[in-house]
Amino acid sequence: MTQYLIMCRSLTKAQSSVKLLERAGITAAVVKAPQNLSSGGCGYAVSLHRKFDEAVSLLSKNNLLNGKLFRRMESGEYAEVFR
Amino acid sequence: MIYLDNAATTLIKPPQVERAVREAMRSCASPGRGGHAPAMRAAETVYACREEAAALFNLSEPERVIFTMNATHGLNIAIKSLVRPGARAVMSGFEHNSVSRPLAASGAELVVAGRQLFDGEAVLEDFRKKLPGASLAVCTHVSNVFGFILPIYEIAELCRKYSVPLIVDASQSAGILDVDAARLGAAFIAMPGHKALFGPQGTGILLCCGEGKPLMHGGSGSDSIPQHMPDYLPDMLEAGTHNVCGIAGLLEGIKYVRRKGTGNILAHERSMLGIMKRSLEGSGLELFTGEEQCGVLSLRCPERDCESIALRLAQMGVCVRSGLHCAPTAHESAGTIESGTLRFSFSPFVNAAQVKTACGLLRKII
Repeated sequence: MTQYLIMCRSLTKAQSSVKLLERAGITAAVVKAPQNLSSGGCGYAVSLHRKFDEAVSLLSKNNLLNGKLFRRMESGEYAEVFR
Repeated sequence: MIYLDNAATTLIKPPQVERAVREAMRSCASPGRGGHAPAMRAAETVYACREEAAALFNLSEPERVIFTMNATHGLNIAIKSLVRPGARAVMSGFEHNSVSRPLAASGAELVVAGRQLFDGEAVLEDFRKKLPGASLAVCTHVSNVFGFILPIYEIAELCRKYSVPLIVDASQSAGILDVDAARLGAAFIAMPGHKALFGPQGTGILLCCGEGKPLMHGGSGSDSIPQHMPDYLPDMLEAGTHNVCGIAGLLEGIKYVRRKGTGNILAHERSMLGIMKRSLEGSGLELFTGEEQCGVLSLRCPERDCESIALRLAQMGVCVRSGLHCAPTAHESAGTIESGTLRFSFSPFVNAAQVKTACGLLRKII
């Protein structure tokens, strides 16, 4: 199953994002972001496997989308998702 | 023991507060400092407390709930965020040293508005005269000495009218009165966690509705490369490791307040106040009371030192506070700066029998 990461500016923003997604029936979790994806060093992300487009749209509508989006490839590397 | 010093700290807490502190000590690490289970559990606890506080104080964004060490810490952040060189600061005549000292240290021109004890209209009128042209205003919701409820919503409205950012000290009102951040429209609202929110000492909350500036700089668990604090909340104002165990207890305290309802808590405290007033009728004590009062009662005894009465009460197992209560401005306003007062303060865990017993012992002493 494909994993997506939505980078967040802070742990609290990531938590707010997950709460919002959960209320909309989208399963997501807060994870520590891989170091190479955190531009400022030490960051958190929302991890999800399904309903990525729906999640991005919902977060955007609620001003919670401030970071880059990534998809984990089979190699284990992350590729940025552009919208 | 009869504990009537709840305006200083609530010693008797809902039992779930202590349980939560113990559990957090066992299971929580540092939030924002790792992705492992104990760190994430801590993060969930801290976030849950932000959400619970945001709900209690009608704040739509939990990230605007900033955890502090106490109300003083929050007030220092707020005041130092707003004071500019040459600032003119208006504060009420009932402020605690946690407000007046940072203002004095800031070098701002200090104007005191509203010294009329239990006269909300007069206080409001004085604010109306002194607010125009001010750089900021600081006002307590409730006097910690007298339990006087200031007309904070009306003062907030005046501040908005004159475009003066307002800092509210909700130390004595949070958990007892309706503290509605959206309705107040204040820049900051500061409060301790250890009074009527029933958290442990070492906890506090600052509702940051305006533009905050860091008081302390350090690790935030986020954006670690830049050598300045993050420019977003709550990280900007929360340098260093959180008091997670305290916050876990505070979470349970706030839940308790929300379940019980501030209206019921206020009604109970006013009921205790009424019993005390009736029990001391004809005692010769000078009671400071008024219509706009919550569960705090100051009194003094002619020609008797309040400290000696408090000491005698303590020896009999009754805990009260005496002296100036870190609020000389309030005592100057009320004309009690020389004598100080003896303060009795209630909570939902104080009952009528305790109040009557304390009054009986007080009568014996005087």
